[in-house]
Amino acid sequence: MTALFEAEHLRRILAGDPPVTLVADASLTIEPGTFATIVGPSGCGKSSLLYLLGLLDRPTSGALRLNGTDLGALDGDARAQIRLRHFGFIFQFHFLLPEFSALENVMLPIRRLGRMDAGEARERALQLLDSMGLAGKAAMTPDRLSGGERQRVAIARALANDPVLVLGDEPTGNLDSGNSARVVEILQKVAHEQGRTVVCVTHDPRIAAASDLRIEMLDGRVIAEEAGPLGT
Amino acid sequence: MAALSLLGRIALRHLLGRRRQTVVGISGVAVGVGFFLAVSSLMVGSQRDFINTLVDAAPHIVISDEVRSPPPQPGLRRFSGAVALHGYKVRNEARGIKDWQQIVAAAGAVPGAIVAPSLTGAVTLRLSGREEPLALVGVDPDLQAKISTIEANLRVGRLHDLETTQGGIIVSEELAQRLGLNVADVVSATSSRGGTRTLRVVGLFKRGRAQIGSASGYVLLREAQSALGRPFIINTIAIKLADPYAAQEVAARLEHRFGYKTESWQERSADVLSLLVTRNVIMYSVVSAILLVASFGIYTAVSTSVADKRRDIAILRSMGFSESDLQLVFVLEGLALALVGVLLGWGLGRGLLAALGAVPFRIAGETEHLPLDRSLFQYAIAAGASLIAGSVAAWLPARKAARVDPVDILRGAV
Repeated sequence: MTALFEAEHLRRILAGDPPVTLVADASLTIEPGTFATIVGPSGCGKSSLLYLLGLLDRPTSGALRLNGTDLGALDGDARAQIRLRHFGFIFQFHFLLPEFSALENVMLPIRRLGRMDAGEARERALQLLDSMGLAGKAAMTPDRLSGGERQRVAIARALANDPVLVLGDEPTGNLDSGNSARVVEILQKVAHEQGRTVVCVTHDPRIAAASDLRIEMLDGRVIAEEAGPLGT
Repeated sequence: MAALSLLGRIALRHLLGRRRQTVVGISGVAVGVGFFLAVSSLMVGSQRDFINTLVDAAPHIVISDEVRSPPPQPGLRRFSGAVALHGYKVRNEARGIKDWQQIVAAAGAVPGAIVAPSLTGAVTLRLSGREEPLALVGVDPDLQAKISTIEANLRVGRLHDLETTQGGIIVSEELAQRLGLNVADVVSATSSRGGTRTLRVVGLFKRGRAQIGSASGYVLLREAQSALGRPFIINTIAIKLADPYAAQEVAARLEHRFGYKTESWQERSADVLSLLVTRNVIMYSVVSAILLVASFGIYTAVSTSVADKRRDIAILRSMGFSESDLQLVFVLEGLALALVGVLLGWGLGRGLLAALGAVPFRIAGETEHLPLDRSLFQYAIAAGASLIAGSVAAWLPARKAARVDPVDILRGAV
């Protein structure tokens, strides 16, 4: 399954006095297999838009469609189920569970989905870690891994249930340039070779340059879209 | 099921990662359960012991030759609807239970029942110028031995000595001392209707047996009948049942059928039984307080766990775990604390009971041990109450876990 991801006039206002507008108006269409980035200055609403796209937050108004299916009407459990089956998140900080080994962290979403037994889930998680070059680190807990390794475990976890949409919130924000380059390479592969849709919020011009579609935001609005990789 | 075991594993990792909180939570429950067992076993055990004393001290049912309301006037009995007359002289009716053989037969028909008719009346004992009032009780020694604890309360002699000695009587040690009597001494007894008879002391009751009374003297039934001048009369029927708790029902049936005042031990001891109710209320309040305090421990442990793990909650939510999944994780944490606490508490309770059971007490010159109820029922109550209290105590803070908004946490962290 691939994802045609569409957002129409998304708007998110935090109730309060005065109300705070996080996202004023955002419309975008992302074709399957696209590596898209959302760029813009701090506080422009990039992350807020990403949380809306990832069904972590509900828009005040506007519509969100996955392959033509409206996601706006779903209740909390159904949204959780969609995140589990179809979405994968990568954050700036690795956000691995500290009590669990790398392997167990990757197995968590697989086991929660419950389509594989423990043996199959383990096999799948080991494959993913292997593809991230972490085969030897599977049994280690996050505190014994380097920053780059942790982030790759987090990517493996995001891919665990074979998602159609991978959402990144500054996935390289905390990495040195070598590790950043590696993560960018992985994300490109995820989009182009595996046909997933990847959407990343970033400040890092190198990721933006490597992406297929750059969505530029300012003051809660999408102000420009630019397709095609920038010259390398 | 797979989801539940996964959530259980997450809960377990949280607990293992937070050893100190976990130990505190578990020990709270363990101490609560342990002391619950000790206190309630002691209370229930002593209550049972007390009721046994109460039940066994006297017959389960006593039928006396009294009625609860005066009989209707003969005029009313004869002419229904007649106006009640006043200033009416009623012929004296001879006291005593009429047709007592029928009552004995009816009561004896209850399976396992032992029925003992007796006659009690007032006499005066005289010995060398001293006088003591005495309730003379005429009994059948065989039956009396079966329905009461008299035999066990004799210091000297046996009930059967009444049959082997002409005019034998058993009195209390206190009375014997006041009159200067000893075993084999002779004393005279005078009643208002039967004249004076000579009786010979064949046995003595131990001191301080309130249920027998220091001013009672036991003789053979026919001896009492002739001493009191009331041949063939019975004024008390005592019944012992196989099941003491059926007494109320049997008594009501007999009273309804024969009309004589028929008292069950529950009716006789209503004041004491109501005292026990108060005692139980006090006990269960104390015990619930212990368990309540134990569940505060669980509340604190789960509550701080939720606060510490807000980031993990947000991560799991973003991964696709639902709100109820996360609530369940923390309820499971509380349940696990309660469960381990209960198991340890059972051990502690067993230890406390063993220690309490080993303490000797000297009561009235006899060494006794605390009466303890060691039934598994107590363990079950303790476990049930802790698990329920524990899950409620875990559920309250766990709701907060479900309400954590992942966006707040993620936005704050980035």
